[in-house]
Amino acid sequence: MNPDPSARSLAAFWDWLGNTDLAFEIGATWWFPLLESIHVIAVALVVGSIFMVDLRLLGVAARAYPISTVTRELTPWSWAGFVIATVTGAGMFIVRPAAYAENPAFQVKLLLLVLAGLNVAVFHVRALRDVARWDTATATPVKARLAGAVSLLLWAGAILAGRWTGHLN
Amino acid sequence: MRELLQAVSRWVRDSDVHDLVVMALSNVPGLPPIVQAVHIAAVCVVMGTIVFVNLRLLGLAVPSQDVSEMIGRLLPFTWWSLPFLVVSGGMFVFARPARYFFNPVFGIKVSLLIPALVLALTLHLLNRMQAGFWERSRPHLVWARLMSAVSVLLWLGVMLAGRWIAYADYLFWPAS
Repeated sequence: MNPDPSARSLAAFWDWLGNTDLAFEIGATWWFPLLESIHVIAVALVVGSIFMVDLRLLGVAARAYPISTVTRELTPWSWAGFVIATVTGAGMFIVRPAAYAENPAFQVKLLLLVLAGLNVAVFHVRALRDVARWDTATATPVKARLAGAVSLLLWAGAILAGRWTGHLN
Repeated sequence: MRELLQAVSRWVRDSDVHDLVVMALSNVPGLPPIVQAVHIAAVCVVMGTIVFVNLRLLGLAVPSQDVSEMIGRLLPFTWWSLPFLVVSGGMFVFARPARYFFNPVFGIKVSLLIPALVLALTLHLLNRMQAGFWERSRPHLVWARLMSAVSVLLWLGVMLAGRWIAYADYLFWPAS
């Protein structure tokens, strides 16, 4: 037994979570593949919409439209996809919580998602502050390009780590 | 039809490509998840291109963007995603042909994919022959919206079916 009491209570929590009626219902029926397939569609929605924003930030696509317009019209789709992906992902997680929590690919995936979230936050708070000055620019400023490139890499990495999770469990 | 599928499946199993992908997928560390991640990334491109063009035509997304310009800008990327999808998906089909050719869900996926591609091609070609074709008149727009609604459903069906291929064996037709 793990001597650290907080690790022990976490293990007990995973144990309790994995033994709920809901976890059994998902794990033993067609609920799991249904959640997984909806998860893939939600991921495609998140990443598909974010890639369009990233490519505009990099100044390589949709250059006819202001950055603020592209961002404003696509962000709600990213959020909608993210909420669906989180709910379906949580549904799959509770079937074997301890196994996922210890899965290195899953840990990497969560880390990449946190970094992607930080990138979005920094971009919105810092980079977009003076967007009025470069809103219609084709040659976007370095900070916008950086945010776009970092986002592309982090989301591509999250997909790879997500798919890898299933191969380690 | 079953004989034809058996013949194709046998031909795939006996091919050199089969031996090659089986060797690669079982010996290169991490290759299966990497190939699957390429497949999913290409699915994201499909979602971010043709599906968003459809959503724009339906009046649901990116209202500021011009339909004709969008089709010309995004659909080439839909076509570019296809070779990636076919090669990444094809590796698994060549590795285990019987798993796919005798799987009804794989049949459903292909049956939904073909009309989805025909609709995308129609949208693209007519817009290319004449810019603004789909917004030229009310009937044109109604047709474009009808095609778009069907197209979105078809693509969602393709993505759902894609993930269910892996589960079909033991959920619906166990040990058959």
